[in-house]
Amino acid sequence: MYHAPTELNDALRTLSEEGGQVVAGGTDVYPSAKQGKMPTHFLDLTRISGLGGISHHQDSIRIGATATWTDVIKSDLPAAFDALKQAAREVGSVQIQNSGTIAGNLCNASPAADGVPPLLALDASVELTSMTRGSRRCPLSEFITGVRQTTLLPDELLTAILVPPPPVEMGSAFEKLGSRRYLVISISMTAAMVSCDDTGKIEQARIAIGACSPVALRMPLLEASLIGQTPKDVTIDPDLFASLTPIDDVRGSTEFRLDVVVEQCARAVKRAANL
Amino acid sequence: MTTVSMTVNGKAVSADVEDRTLLVDYIREHLRLTGTHVGCDTSQCGACVVHVDGKAMKACTMLAVTADGADVTTIEGVANGDLHPMQKAFNDNHGLQCGFCTPGMIMSGIDMVNRYKADGKTLDETAIRHELEGNICRCTGYHNIVKSIQQAAGEM
Repeated sequence: MYHAPTELNDALRTLSEEGGQVVAGGTDVYPSAKQGKMPTHFLDLTRISGLGGISHHQDSIRIGATATWTDVIKSDLPAAFDALKQAAREVGSVQIQNSGTIAGNLCNASPAADGVPPLLALDASVELTSMTRGSRRCPLSEFITGVRQTTLLPDELLTAILVPPPPVEMGSAFEKLGSRRYLVISISMTAAMVSCDDTGKIEQARIAIGACSPVALRMPLLEASLIGQTPKDVTIDPDLFASLTPIDDVRGSTEFRLDVVVEQCARAVKRAANL
Repeated sequence: MTTVSMTVNGKAVSADVEDRTLLVDYIREHLRLTGTHVGCDTSQCGACVVHVDGKAMKACTMLAVTADGADVTTIEGVANGDLHPMQKAFNDNHGLQCGFCTPGMIMSGIDMVNRYKADGKTLDETAIRHELEGNICRCTGYHNIVKSIQQAAGEM
Protein backbone atom coordinates (compact mmCIF):
# COMPACT_ATOMS: atom_id res chain seq x y z
CA MET A 1 0.00 0.00 0.00
CA TYR A 2 1.19 3.48 -0.80
CA HIS A 3 -0.41 6.34 1.12
CA ALA A 4 0.38 9.88 0.06
CA PRO A 5 -2.02 12.02 2.11
CA THR A 6 -2.26 15.77 1.61
CA GLU A 7 -3.28 16.52 5.23
CA LEU A 8 -1.15 15.90 8.33
CA ASN A 9 -4.14 14.52 10.26
CA ASP A 10 -4.72 11.85 7.62
CA ALA A 11 -1.05 10.89 7.77
CA LEU A 12 -1.12 10.63 11.58
CA ARG A 13 -4.28 8.52 11.46
CA THR A 14 -2.84 6.18 8.84
CA LEU A 15 0.34 5.86 10.87
CA SER A 16 -1.46 5.00 14.10
CA GLU A 17 -3.91 2.59 12.45
CA GLU A 18 -1.80 0.89 9.80
CA GLY A 19 1.82 1.83 10.47
CA GLY A 20 4.08 1.54 7.44
CA GLN A 21 7.43 2.85 6.30
CA VAL A 22 7.44 6.62 6.58
CA VAL A 23 9.18 8.12 3.58
CA ALA A 24 9.94 11.59 2.25
CA GLY A 25 12.92 11.73 -0.15
CA GLY A 26 13.47 7.99 0.19
CA THR A 27 17.22 8.37 -0.29
CA ASP A 28 17.96 6.12 2.68
CA VAL A 29 14.87 3.90 2.46
CA TYR A 30 15.05 2.64 -1.13
CA PRO A 31 18.80 1.99 -1.50
CA SER A 32 18.97 0.21 1.86
CA ALA A 33 16.04 -2.12 1.08
CA LYS A 34 17.47 -5.61 0.75
CA GLN A 35 16.88 -7.40 -2.53
CA GLY A 36 13.26 -8.60 -2.54
CA LYS A 37 12.60 -7.07 0.89
CA MET A 38 11.25 -3.67 -0.11
CA PRO A 39 8.69 -2.53 2.50
CA THR A 40 5.12 -3.18 1.40
CA HIS A 41 3.45 -0.26 3.21
CA PHE A 42 4.62 3.29 2.56
CA LEU A 43 3.48 6.56 4.07
CA ASP A 44 4.74 9.35 1.81
CA LEU A 45 4.82 12.75 3.55
CA THR A 46 5.85 14.87 0.58
CA ARG A 47 2.35 15.87 -0.49
CA ILE A 48 1.27 17.17 2.92
CA SER A 49 0.72 20.91 2.74
CA GLY A 50 2.57 22.95 5.34
CA LEU A 51 5.14 20.27 6.13
CA GLY A 52 7.82 21.57 3.78
CA GLY A 53 9.95 24.66 3.51
CA ILE A 54 11.94 26.72 5.98
CA SER A 55 10.20 29.53 7.84
CA HIS A 56 11.28 32.22 10.28
CA HIS A 57 9.34 32.67 13.54
CA GLN A 58 9.92 34.80 16.61
CA ASP A 59 11.24 31.97 18.77
CA SER A 60 12.67 29.67 16.12
CA ILE A 61 13.67 28.94 12.57
CA ARG A 62 11.53 26.03 11.48
CA ILE A 63 12.80 23.43 9.01
CA GLY A 64 9.76 21.44 7.87
CA ALA A 65 9.81 17.66 7.76
CA THR A 66 9.88 17.54 3.97
CA ALA A 67 12.42 20.35 3.47
CA THR A 68 15.24 19.01 1.28
CA TRP A 69 18.98 19.64 1.43
CA THR A 70 18.53 21.80 -1.67
CA ASP A 71 15.91 23.87 0.23
CA VAL A 72 18.49 24.50 2.97
CA ILE A 73 21.21 25.46 0.48
CA LYS A 74 18.89 27.92 -1.26
CA SER A 75 17.42 29.50 1.89
CA ASP A 76 18.45 32.86 3.23
CA LEU A 77 19.68 31.93 6.71
CA PRO A 78 21.96 33.50 9.38
CA ALA A 79 25.73 32.82 9.23
CA ALA A 80 25.37 30.28 12.03
CA PHE A 81 23.63 28.04 9.46
CA ASP A 82 26.65 28.06 7.10
CA ALA A 83 27.85 24.79 8.64
CA LEU A 84 24.48 23.15 7.89
CA LYS A 85 24.59 24.52 4.34
CA GLN A 86 28.11 23.20 3.83
CA ALA A 87 26.99 19.80 5.14
CA ALA A 88 24.01 19.91 2.76
CA ARG A 89 26.32 20.52 -0.21
CA GLU A 90 28.35 17.44 0.69
CA VAL A 91 25.44 15.04 1.18
CA GLY A 92 25.25 12.52 -1.66
CA SER A 93 25.11 14.50 -4.87
CA VAL A 94 22.91 17.21 -6.36
CA GLN A 95 20.22 14.66 -7.28
CA ILE A 96 20.19 13.30 -3.73
CA GLN A 97 20.12 16.82 -2.28
CA ASN A 98 17.03 17.48 -4.42
CA SER A 99 15.06 14.65 -2.83
CA GLY A 100 16.62 13.84 0.55
CA THR A 101 15.36 15.66 3.64
CA ILE A 102 17.09 16.91 6.80
CA ALA A 103 14.34 15.36 8.92
CA GLY A 104 14.90 11.98 7.27
CA ASN A 105 18.62 12.27 8.00
CA LEU A 106 17.79 12.68 11.71
CA CYS A 107 15.23 9.84 11.81
CA ASN A 108 17.64 7.50 10.01
CA ALA A 109 20.00 8.19 12.94
CA SER A 110 23.22 7.05 11.34
CA PRO A 111 26.30 7.88 13.46
CA ALA A 112 27.69 9.42 10.26
CA ALA A 113 24.60 11.56 9.48
CA ASP A 114 26.00 14.79 8.07
CA GLY A 115 23.09 16.92 9.28
CA VAL A 116 23.49 16.12 12.96
CA PRO A 117 26.70 17.97 14.05
CA PRO A 118 25.63 21.34 12.55
CA LEU A 119 22.17 21.03 14.14
CA LEU A 120 23.66 20.04 17.52
CA ALA A 121 25.82 23.17 17.37
CA LEU A 122 22.66 25.17 16.61
CA ASP A 123 20.95 23.73 19.74
CA ALA A 124 18.17 22.36 17.54
CA SER A 125 15.09 20.55 18.80
CA VAL A 126 12.68 18.30 16.96
CA GLU A 127 8.89 18.52 16.97
CA LEU A 128 7.28 15.08 17.26
CA THR A 129 3.56 14.82 16.53
CA SER A 130 1.04 12.03 17.09
CA MET A 131 -2.69 11.86 16.50
CA THR A 132 -3.69 11.26 20.11
CA ARG A 133 -1.11 13.27 22.06
CA GLY A 134 -0.46 16.23 19.79
CA SER A 135 3.06 17.66 19.56
CA ARG A 136 6.02 17.44 21.89
CA ARG A 137 9.46 19.00 21.61
CA CYS A 138 12.65 17.10 22.19
CA PRO A 139 16.21 18.47 22.05
CA LEU A 140 18.11 16.85 19.18
CA SER A 141 20.80 15.79 21.68
CA GLU A 142 18.18 13.59 23.38
CA PHE A 143 16.29 12.52 20.24
CA ILE A 144 19.01 10.30 18.78
CA THR A 145 19.89 7.71 21.41
CA GLY A 146 22.13 5.24 19.59
CA VAL A 147 23.08 3.72 16.26
CA ARG A 148 19.86 4.01 14.23
CA GLN A 149 17.87 4.57 17.42
CA THR A 150 15.68 7.53 18.33
CA THR A 151 12.98 8.36 20.84
CA LEU A 152 10.43 8.59 18.01
CA LEU A 153 7.38 6.50 19.00
CA PRO A 154 5.65 4.25 16.45
CA ASP A 155 2.65 6.59 16.10
CA GLU A 156 4.73 9.77 15.86
CA LEU A 157 6.04 11.76 12.94
CA LEU A 158 8.94 14.18 13.11
CA THR A 159 7.07 17.22 11.80
CA ALA A 160 9.75 19.91 12.09
CA ILE A 161 13.25 20.78 13.22
CA LEU A 162 13.27 23.90 15.38
CA VAL A 163 16.34 26.06 15.77
CA PRO A 164 16.38 28.91 18.31
CA PRO A 165 17.50 32.13 16.56
CA PRO A 166 21.31 31.93 16.79
CA PRO A 167 23.43 34.91 17.91
CA VAL A 168 23.89 37.04 14.78
CA GLU A 169 27.59 37.50 15.47
CA MET A 170 28.35 33.76 15.31
CA GLY A 171 29.89 32.33 12.15
CA SER A 172 30.02 28.61 11.47
CA ALA A 173 31.80 25.98 9.39
CA PHE A 174 31.60 22.26 8.66
CA GLU A 175 34.53 19.95 7.99
CA LYS A 176 34.03 16.45 6.62
CA LEU A 177 36.65 13.83 5.88
CA GLY A 178 35.86 10.91 3.61
CA SER A 179 38.04 8.57 1.61
CA ARG A 180 37.42 10.86 -1.36
CA ARG A 181 35.74 14.20 -1.91
CA TYR A 182 32.28 13.09 -3.03
CA LEU A 183 29.63 10.45 -2.37
CA VAL A 184 31.25 9.07 0.73
CA ILE A 185 30.30 8.12 4.23
CA SER A 186 32.13 10.42 6.63
CA ILE A 187 35.16 9.13 8.50
CA SER A 188 34.79 12.06 10.85
CA MET A 189 33.17 15.48 10.74
CA THR A 190 33.17 18.62 12.81
CA ALA A 191 30.77 21.55 12.99
CA ALA A 192 31.97 24.74 14.66
CA MET A 193 30.16 27.95 15.62
CA VAL A 194 32.34 30.80 16.80
CA SER A 195 32.17 34.51 17.57
CA CYS A 196 35.03 36.83 18.55
CA ASP A 197 35.19 39.98 20.68
CA ASP A 198 36.61 43.34 19.54
CA THR A 199 40.17 42.19 20.22
CA GLY A 200 39.74 39.11 18.01
CA LYS A 201 39.54 36.63 20.87
CA ILE A 202 36.95 33.85 20.84
CA GLU A 203 33.96 34.87 22.94
CA GLN A 204 31.48 32.10 22.19
CA ALA A 205 32.23 28.64 20.79
CA ARG A 206 30.22 25.55 20.01
CA ILE A 207 31.71 22.35 18.59
CA ALA A 208 29.95 19.12 17.59
CA ILE A 209 31.65 16.03 16.21
CA GLY A 210 30.07 13.23 14.19
CA ALA A 211 31.05 9.71 13.10
CA CYS A 212 33.34 9.32 16.12
CA SER A 213 30.77 7.96 18.60
CA PRO A 214 27.44 6.10 18.28
CA VAL A 215 25.69 9.48 18.44
CA ALA A 216 27.28 12.76 17.37
CA LEU A 217 28.35 14.83 20.41
CA ARG A 218 28.78 18.41 21.54
CA MET A 219 32.20 18.98 23.14
CA PRO A 220 31.63 21.24 26.18
CA LEU A 221 35.18 20.97 27.59
CA LEU A 222 36.70 21.77 24.23
CA GLU A 223 34.26 24.66 23.78
CA ALA A 224 35.30 26.12 27.14
CA SER A 225 38.99 25.77 26.23
CA LEU A 226 38.49 27.87 23.11
CA ILE A 227 37.20 30.94 24.93
CA GLY A 228 39.85 33.66 24.95
CA GLN A 229 41.96 32.01 22.22
CA THR A 230 42.75 33.69 18.93
CA PRO A 231 41.30 31.64 16.02
CA LYS A 232 44.41 32.11 13.86
CA ASP A 233 46.66 30.44 16.46
CA VAL A 234 44.04 28.16 18.01
CA THR A 235 45.40 25.16 19.88
CA ILE A 236 43.23 22.11 20.32
CA ASP A 237 44.03 19.89 23.30
CA PRO A 238 43.68 16.22 22.24
CA ASP A 239 42.90 15.27 25.85
CA LEU A 240 39.54 17.02 25.58
CA PHE A 241 38.18 14.38 23.20
CA ALA A 242 37.77 11.67 25.84
CA SER A 243 34.00 11.45 25.21
CA LEU A 244 34.64 10.17 21.68
CA THR A 245 34.71 6.44 21.07
CA PRO A 246 35.39 6.05 17.35
CA ILE A 247 35.18 2.59 15.84
CA ASP A 248 37.88 0.78 13.88
CA ASP A 249 36.51 -0.05 10.46
CA VAL A 250 37.32 -0.08 6.75
CA ARG A 251 36.96 3.69 6.62
CA GLY A 252 39.52 4.44 9.31
CA SER A 253 41.05 3.25 12.57
CA THR A 254 40.23 4.60 16.02
CA GLU A 255 43.63 6.31 16.25
CA PHE A 256 43.28 7.84 12.79
CA ARG A 257 39.86 9.28 13.58
CA LEU A 258 41.04 10.76 16.88
CA ASP A 259 44.02 12.28 15.09
CA VAL A 260 41.83 13.71 12.35
CA VAL A 261 39.28 15.41 14.59
CA VAL A 262 41.94 17.51 16.31
CA GLU A 263 43.00 19.03 12.98
CA GLN A 264 39.38 19.21 11.82
CA CYS A 265 38.43 21.25 14.90
CA ALA A 266 41.27 23.73 14.30
CA ARG A 267 40.27 24.15 10.65
CA ALA A 268 36.56 24.46 11.45
CA VAL A 269 37.20 27.09 14.14
CA LYS A 270 39.37 29.15 11.76
CA ARG A 271 36.81 28.97 8.97
CA ALA A 272 33.93 29.74 11.34
CA ALA A 273 35.86 32.87 12.37
CA ASN A 274 36.15 33.78 8.67
CA LEU A 275 39.90 33.14 8.40
CA MET B 1 -1.51 -1.88 -7.34
CA THR B 2 -2.01 1.83 -7.88
CA THR B 3 -2.87 3.76 -11.00
CA VAL B 4 -0.17 6.29 -11.74
CA SER B 5 -0.48 9.06 -14.28
CA MET B 6 2.28 11.37 -15.33
CA THR B 7 3.64 13.24 -18.30
CA VAL B 8 6.74 11.65 -19.79
CA ASN B 9 8.54 13.55 -22.53
CA GLY B 10 5.42 15.63 -23.13
CA LYS B 11 3.07 12.67 -23.45
CA ALA B 12 0.44 11.75 -20.86
CA VAL B 13 0.95 8.17 -19.68
CA SER B 14 -0.98 6.08 -17.17
CA ALA B 15 -0.61 2.54 -15.85
CA ASP B 16 -1.44 0.26 -12.95
CA VAL B 17 1.81 -0.51 -11.16
CA GLU B 18 2.79 -2.36 -8.04
CA ASP B 19 3.35 0.26 -5.34
CA ARG B 20 6.98 -0.70 -4.82
CA THR B 21 7.88 -0.22 -8.51
CA LEU B 22 10.83 2.12 -8.84
CA LEU B 23 10.41 5.01 -11.25
CA VAL B 24 13.32 3.73 -13.32
CA ASP B 25 11.67 0.31 -13.70
CA TYR B 26 8.40 1.94 -14.71
CA ILE B 27 10.23 4.01 -17.35
CA ARG B 28 12.23 1.08 -18.69
CA GLU B 29 9.87 -1.89 -18.33
CA HIS B 30 6.42 -0.33 -18.72
CA LEU B 31 7.13 2.56 -21.05
CA ARG B 32 9.98 0.72 -22.80
CA LEU B 33 12.13 3.86 -22.70
CA THR B 34 15.41 2.06 -22.16
CA GLY B 35 17.69 5.06 -22.59
CA THR B 36 17.54 5.62 -18.83
CA HIS B 37 20.03 3.12 -17.42
CA VAL B 38 20.38 1.29 -14.12
CA GLY B 39 23.99 1.15 -13.03
CA CYS B 40 24.20 0.63 -9.29
CA ASP B 41 20.58 0.62 -8.07
CA THR B 42 21.81 2.31 -4.88
CA SER B 43 21.65 5.98 -5.96
CA GLN B 44 25.38 6.40 -6.42
CA CYS B 45 26.26 6.12 -10.11
CA GLY B 46 23.78 8.50 -11.76
CA ALA B 47 23.11 6.42 -14.91
CA CYS B 48 19.39 6.71 -14.11
CA VAL B 49 19.13 10.51 -13.84
CA VAL B 50 15.90 11.95 -15.22
CA HIS B 51 14.23 15.32 -14.69
CA VAL B 52 11.16 15.32 -12.43
CA ASP B 53 9.29 18.62 -12.44
CA GLY B 54 12.44 20.29 -13.70
CA LYS B 55 14.81 18.85 -11.09
CA ALA B 56 17.47 16.20 -11.65
CA MET B 57 16.54 13.06 -9.75
CA LYS B 58 17.88 9.54 -9.54
CA ALA B 59 15.06 7.38 -10.89
CA CYS B 60 16.32 4.36 -8.94
CA THR B 61 15.68 6.24 -5.69
CA MET B 62 12.08 7.14 -6.28
CA LEU B 63 8.91 5.11 -6.65
CA ALA B 64 6.73 5.47 -9.71
CA VAL B 65 3.78 6.33 -7.44
CA THR B 66 5.80 9.17 -5.93
CA ALA B 67 6.02 10.70 -9.40
CA ASP B 68 2.23 10.54 -9.85
CA GLY B 69 1.15 13.79 -11.48
CA ALA B 70 4.73 14.84 -12.25
CA ASP B 71 6.30 16.04 -15.47
CA VAL B 72 9.17 13.69 -16.30
CA THR B 73 11.82 14.10 -18.97
CA THR B 74 14.13 11.23 -19.96
CA ILE B 75 17.05 11.16 -22.38
CA GLU B 76 14.57 10.25 -25.15
CA GLY B 77 12.78 13.55 -24.60
CA VAL B 78 15.61 16.08 -24.83
CA ALA B 79 16.08 16.19 -28.63
CA ASN B 80 13.71 18.44 -30.49
CA GLY B 81 14.03 17.22 -34.07
CA ASP B 82 17.75 17.96 -34.02
CA LEU B 83 20.02 16.75 -31.26
CA HIS B 84 19.94 18.79 -28.06
CA PRO B 85 23.07 21.03 -27.78
CA MET B 86 24.24 18.80 -24.91
CA GLN B 87 23.90 15.65 -27.05
CA LYS B 88 25.70 17.36 -29.93
CA ALA B 89 28.49 18.46 -27.59
CA PHE B 90 29.00 14.89 -26.36
CA ASN B 91 29.20 13.88 -30.03
CA ASP B 92 31.64 16.64 -30.95
CA ASN B 93 33.96 15.99 -28.01
CA HIS B 94 33.66 12.22 -27.88
CA GLY B 95 32.27 12.60 -24.38
CA LEU B 96 31.96 8.86 -23.86
CA GLN B 97 33.84 5.62 -23.99
CA CYS B 98 31.46 2.69 -23.47
CA GLY B 99 28.45 5.02 -23.32
CA PHE B 100 26.65 3.40 -20.41
CA CYS B 101 26.78 6.48 -18.16
CA THR B 102 26.07 8.89 -21.03
CA PRO B 103 22.28 9.30 -20.65
CA GLY B 104 22.73 10.23 -16.99
CA MET B 105 25.68 12.50 -17.78
CA ILE B 106 23.63 14.35 -20.40
CA MET B 107 20.60 14.72 -18.10
CA SER B 108 22.83 16.02 -15.27
CA GLY B 109 24.68 18.26 -17.73
CA ILE B 110 21.46 19.87 -18.98
CA ASP B 111 20.27 20.34 -15.39
CA MET B 112 23.47 22.04 -14.22
CA VAL B 113 23.63 24.38 -17.23
CA ASN B 114 19.98 25.37 -16.71
CA ARG B 115 20.50 25.99 -12.98
CA TYR B 116 23.64 28.04 -13.42
CA LYS B 117 21.99 30.10 -16.15
CA ALA B 118 18.92 30.72 -13.98
CA ASP B 119 21.16 31.83 -11.08
CA GLY B 120 23.31 34.00 -13.39
CA LYS B 121 26.45 32.04 -12.42
CA THR B 122 29.30 30.93 -14.67
CA LEU B 123 29.65 27.18 -15.09
CA ASP B 124 33.43 26.80 -15.34
CA GLU B 125 35.43 23.59 -15.40
CA THR B 126 35.78 23.44 -11.61
CA ALA B 127 32.04 23.89 -11.16
CA ILE B 128 31.28 21.18 -13.73
CA ARG B 129 33.59 18.72 -11.99
CA HIS B 130 31.94 19.53 -8.65
CA GLU B 131 28.44 19.26 -10.11
CA LEU B 132 29.24 15.87 -11.65
CA GLU B 133 29.76 14.32 -8.23
CA GLY B 134 26.61 12.23 -8.61
CA ASN B 135 27.56 10.72 -11.97
CA ILE B 136 30.20 8.05 -12.22
CA CYS B 137 31.94 7.04 -15.47
CA ARG B 138 33.29 3.53 -15.01
CA CYS B 139 35.64 4.09 -17.98
CA THR B 140 36.91 7.25 -16.21
CA GLY B 141 36.41 9.29 -19.38
CA TYR B 142 35.76 12.45 -17.41
CA HIS B 143 37.96 14.89 -19.37
CA ASN B 144 35.87 14.73 -22.52
CA ILE B 145 32.63 14.69 -20.55
CA VAL B 146 33.67 17.94 -18.86
CA LYS B 147 34.68 19.42 -22.23
CA SER B 148 31.30 18.42 -23.70
CA ILE B 149 29.35 20.12 -20.91
CA GLN B 150 31.57 23.20 -21.22
CA GLN B 151 30.81 23.42 -24.95
CA ALA B 152 27.06 22.96 -24.41
CA ALA B 153 27.06 25.57 -21.64
CA GLY B 154 28.20 28.09 -24.23
CA GLU B 155 25.49 27.10 -26.68
CA MET B 156 22.43 26.53 -24.51
